Amino acid sequence: MNKPVFPKASADTLAILSDPSAPLAQVMAAVEAAEALGGQATSAHIGISAGATVDLLGLYLRRHALTAGVSLKVSKGNFDDPLGDVARFEDWGVDHLILAPFLDALEPAFEARAAMLSDDEIDLRESELRGRWRLVMHCASKFRAVFLCGLHRVGAPVAGGDRLDAIVARLNAALREEAAGFPNVRWIDMAGMVAGVGRRAALDLRFYLRNAAPYAPALLDEWARQVTAVSRAYGTRFHKALVLDCDNTLWGGILGEDLASGIKLSPHDYPGSVFYRAQVEFQALRRQGVLLCLCSKNEAADVDALLDSHPDMVLRQADIVAKQVNWNDKASNLRQIAHDLNIGLDSLVFLDDSAFECEAVCGQLPEVTVFQAPENPIGYLAVIAAIKDLFLAGGAMTDGAEKTEQYRQRAAALAERQAFATQDEYLASLGLTVTLTKNDAARIPRISELSQKSNQFNLTTVRYARGEIEALMADPQAAVWSLEVADKFGAAGLTGVAVVRYADDAAVIEALFMSCRVLGRGVEFAIWPTILTEAAAHGCARIEAAYRPTDKNGQAADFYDRLGLTRSGEANGELDGARSYAADIAAFAPPPSPWIEVLNG
Amino acid sequence: MVDESALKQVMATVLGVPVSAVGPDASSDTIPAWDSLRHMNLVLALEQTFGVEIPDEDAAEITSYALIKVVLNERLAA
Repeated sequence: MNKPVFPKASADTLAILSDPSAPLAQVMAAVEAAEALGGQATSAHIGISAGATVDLLGLYLRRHALTAGVSLKVSKGNFDDPLGDVARFEDWGVDHLILAPFLDALEPAFEARAAMLSDDEIDLRESELRGRWRLVMHCASKFRAVFLCGLHRVGAPVAGGDRLDAIVARLNAALREEAAGFPNVRWIDMAGMVAGVGRRAALDLRFYLRNAAPYAPALLDEWARQVTAVSRAYGTRFHKALVLDCDNTLWGGILGEDLASGIKLSPHDYPGSVFYRAQVEFQALRRQGVLLCLCSKNEAADVDALLDSHPDMVLRQADIVAKQVNWNDKASNLRQIAHDLNIGLDSLVFLDDSAFECEAVCGQLPEVTVFQAPENPIGYLAVIAAIKDLFLAGGAMTDGAEKTEQYRQRAAALAERQAFATQDEYLASLGLTVTLTKNDAARIPRISELSQKSNQFNLTTVRYARGEIEALMADPQAAVWSLEVADKFGAAGLTGVAVVRYADDAAVIEALFMSCRVLGRGVEFAIWPTILTEAAAHGCARIEAAYRPTDKNGQAADFYDRLGLTRSGEANGELDGARSYAADIAAFAPPPSPWIEVLNG
Repeated sequence: MVDESALKQVMATVLGVPVSAVGPDASSDTIPAWDSLRHMNLVLALEQTFGVEIPDEDAAEITSYALIKVVLNERLAA
């Protein structure tokens, strides 16, 4: 189900942009119209560096960006000049980069020549390829994300496979190996894409021989779709939870009417087998870090009984992190789920079979991504595939498999809170520890991920690519502190980061962000003695910090006031709600949090 | 017969010129933006809009409004 992405664009424009069969000229006109109207929440700039002519790829990239609410600028490189392109793109402010080497252009008529090359000659080609693209990716390490597109054949395959197939597989394996050394590089499987679109629909040899333009619009459109998905809509999309309806979504039939004995869920009978498969898909998402929730109009006890003991249920209580099974409207229930998990509504994906419920949620909560489960089982499996793509494109969510357990712990902790007389008494009972670790390379992926997705408690909202964190850690004039919180219920993992730069006699807090899961316990105050002791040892006499407002970080607006820093920037004319602070380290005393034990990692 | 107003609309959109610039005498000589890249896009766009396939031998040659009309009419009649 499509959400209204641009309130100002006409319904026609939206319909064309999201219609996969819209003809090229209409797509061109619709993209121009939508961009002229504006209203997209964010923008990005992508550069295309290719060994073939891929002019229309830019159009389709803009199309898919627009349907995700992103205004995308496209810069095109020179033909087969990745090193030159990377240098130029950097000057032009490009933040995302497509690198598309082209097999047949490795040398003239390479596909035809390949069968004649000896093993030694192939070895030589492989090492040339590795060397060239390693250098390109090295030079491109400052880009936010790089999409390295694999090699594929243009010529028709030979039945049973041929030597060229083996060579392509080997060269692709070499490229992937090189790419693995660069944390900002994502792999795009072009051979799989050509096969998925179908070779005849994907390639257009009319313009290949004359203009070195091998691709038909169908392939370029799918290529753009995959890049958009893998980029998570240029970093604007980070879905965390899948909220599931029950009747005709998790099982066939209506539990309240058909009863536990009458619902359709047997793996051995149709249509129960469709719902059984759906549950296995959802459980697999859970294992890959997606939080599963239920939102259903049913008697809670009936649904609990199924989760506890129905023999064909795949999903069990332990798979579900939050449940709203009641007769309230679904928008209220979704708000409650977001509140309980302490995540934004835009982190929720909602799946329901009822057009009425889907419309209601779309209307009331436009931030929630909504899918309707169609009656047709093939259509249902296609919807599930689209949901998987949303959560998994660009790699499984790291650190995620333990997430469900952590959110359950938080819920258990909430329940326990009610038994204590005061908040401090409760906190003291938790046995909280905070482990602070400085410049640990093993934590780079998680630090970068947290910088990308933490919105609410994020003082400056700097989004760091992995390479940027790596560079900060290597810089003697900077420190990257990560903090891990644990309590008697369990470990919450890496849930906060502070980035400090040492400038003359000042320790400048460039960034401070924490997962909201661990807020409200004093952790955000407990970390400062360690950080400032280190800064003082570095020769710093002052601490400087700033708050920069976004749509989502209002809750952190007065954090540095509460921490006890002094506003310093009012006189300098702070703009748009930004605040800057300073204090002498020697005189600075953050609010005490005696219930927390701070450890050095 | 090909719908000439649709044809002009497609050409104007792909070549990035106003519809009024696409007259009966329009060609790659009169429209400077009509380069080889745009020509490729134009052929693909014409095929999708009119539901025809333009064969290789014609694809590179139809660089004027008049020639495009002839080839599209041939294809639509085929």
